[in-house]
Amino acid sequence: MVEKERPILSVDDLSVSFRTYGGRVQAVRGVSFDLYKGETLAIVGESGSGKSVTIKAILGVLPKNGRIDAGSILYNGEDLAKFREKDFHKIRGKKISLVFQDPFSSLNPIMIVGKQITEALTLSLGMDKDKAKARALELLHAVGIPDPETRFYQYPFQLSGGMRQRIVIAIALASDPEILICDEPTTALDVTIQARILDLIKEIKAQRKLSIIFITHDLGVVANMADRIAVMYAGKIVEMGTSEDIFYRPAHPYTWALLSSIPDLDTKEELVSIPGSPPNMISPPKGDAFAVRNKYALELDFEEEPPMFRISDTHFAATWLLHPNAPKVEMPEILAERIRRYAEEKLANAR
Amino acid sequence: MVITLFIIITIGFMVIRLMPGSMYADDADMTAAQMEILRAKYHLDKPIPVQYGIFLRDLVLKGDWGTSIKMYIGVPVFDVLKMKIPVSMYNNLFSLLISLPIGVLLGIIAAVRKNSIVDYTTSFMVVIFISVPSFIFATLLQYYAAFRSGWFPIIYEASATGFAKLHSLTLPIIALSLGPIARVTRYLRAELAETINSDFMLLARTKGLTEAQAILRHGIRNSLVPLANVVIPMFTHIMSGSMVIERIFSIPGMGGLMVSSINNTDYPLTLAVLIFYSVVSLVTVLVVDLAYGVIDPRIRIGGRHIE
Ligand SMILES: Nc1ncnc2c1ncn2[C@@H]1O[C@H](COP(=O)(O)OP(=O)(O)O)[C@@H](O)[C@H]1O
Ligand SMILES: [Mg+2]
Repeated sequence: MVEKERPILSVDDLSVSFRTYGGRVQAVRGVSFDLYKGETLAIVGESGSGKSVTIKAILGVLPKNGRIDAGSILYNGEDLAKFREKDFHKIRGKKISLVFQDPFSSLNPIMIVGKQITEALTLSLGMDKDKAKARALELLHAVGIPDPETRFYQYPFQLSGGMRQRIVIAIALASDPEILICDEPTTALDVTIQARILDLIKEIKAQRKLSIIFITHDLGVVANMADRIAVMYAGKIVEMGTSEDIFYRPAHPYTWALLSSIPDLDTKEELVSIPGSPPNMISPPKGDAFAVRNKYALELDFEEEPPMFRISDTHFAATWLLHPNAPKVEMPEILAERIRRYAEEKLANAR
Repeated sequence: MVITLFIIITIGFMVIRLMPGSMYADDADMTAAQMEILRAKYHLDKPIPVQYGIFLRDLVLKGDWGTSIKMYIGVPVFDVLKMKIPVSMYNNLFSLLISLPIGVLLGIIAAVRKNSIVDYTTSFMVVIFISVPSFIFATLLQYYAAFRSGWFPIIYEASATGFAKLHSLTLPIIALSLGPIARVTRYLRAELAETINSDFMLLARTKGLTEAQAILRHGIRNSLVPLANVVIPMFTHIMSGSMVIERIFSIPGMGGLMVSSINNTDYPLTLAVLIFYSVVSLVTVLVVDLAYGVIDPRIRIGGRHIE
């Protein structure tokens, strides 16, 4: 990992809320993370935990009823949290791009896909039409679309889901951004297609030296992808570490729960789903938001919010279990067993 | 299409014949013998199915729509229509032509400035114009903009041509158009507001387009596609509105003809007016279907697949 370097994107104590009829929804509550050049940072959490809102805040495309209450988003020495709509035009697409969840709805159904790619080039970069088309064909080829000349003139409904997601990726890459944000890019796709899209993202990342923020609700998806992982719950990051830290030394009970819910193909263990559901974000509970669903919760968890405890230089978690005075609590045996098995397999593979 | 028309003609024919009141029943100065002769002349003495058979035979083989039997005695109904249609179509088409762009424009403004004063004002007007029937506006306009101020003629001047004609039809056209404008505005506002929240608008913005570019290139065109749906009800709405409006402004058009031909039990004329309205509606449907193909590639290309 590229450690001591300065991060290219630095989110600090970001809070976002929405005005609704029921009151203010506190969707993101003090999120901080750094993104380093060339790394893939995964943000993982159940749906509703505030992942998409975080990245919409970064790109300045929050819905009209949302606003940034506090915090900063430093990019290139500028604070995106203070940007106005017109300031974002030099960032969106050109520096930071977005690929999102549903390739069925993220393309305009009545415009040929080629034009949806060239548009970004002609309108916001001022490239001339022929050049833009040549570049679009190049991009289509780069994202693995066969016969780009024909595909260029087709409409989204003539393409499969996987193809469409490739087109969306091509659009995101059009203006050669530094940072690619993928918001659940494979959630809407078949499992086999998922794997291919993940491979494509890995490939273009390596080729273009991109830094990636990869968002998913499924830890399993990022196992082979992420350099670092941030686990998010109820608008906060509850654990943050390298991929190794999170998969082999998880410290937060919520991470344990997420890991236990990944299907294991080797054993016939039953899937452990997380009991209960995320809290209402209009009045988030005091203390640790996960406490009510957490069988390891301490009394203190219901009273006071745990700070981020430092486990190592790379590994942090927000749980009172890490306090020196806390009772010793181990992760569930099933999970511990699984991790031991994975570690052995990995060792065996390495030899 | 032909089948639809056939069904409409058949039902129309039956309904008109079954209407209460018989032709000539109220003509006190006619002897029973005279009445019998007339009834025989127009085949009214025969059972309804036979009458229908004769009507169809004449229509299909000779292109004969029948002749008016009470209002314009002896004049072929086709000629009566030829005289009336241009007057009505002038109003109706004009109304359609101004309603669409004005409604679209207002809808766009309301959607883009959603929840602003402009939006609330537009929405308020929309509710009023949709819920108050057009003849109320017609009467108000006639009173204030014609009778009190004298800006416009109170009733239609049949002899006027060119600009003067348009001038004398201004009030009826406005009265006819308020409802349709409101409908288009409401529809487009809802449609565009939804499109603006769609994923592909978000993608358009995150790839670097300005908000205005995104709305112009992705929002508006996409919300115009389903607008074709409201054009049909809109046009029939205009036509039915014009029946009353024409009376208010004494415009000698189809609307007045329909009402008076029914009141006078002029069967062939009523039927011809009915057929005329059906044909216009069917043509509107056809035009809209074709237009769909032009603006929506999913239909254009999807259709070609099947062929
Ligand atoms: N426009 C909005 N108005 C009100 N609440 C919103 C809005 N957008 C998102 N939220 C709320 O913010 C929270 C986080 O949403 P999101 O970031 O989309 O979750 P996810 O982690 O699944 O991407 C959810 O509780 C959601 O209901
Ligand atoms: Mg999301």
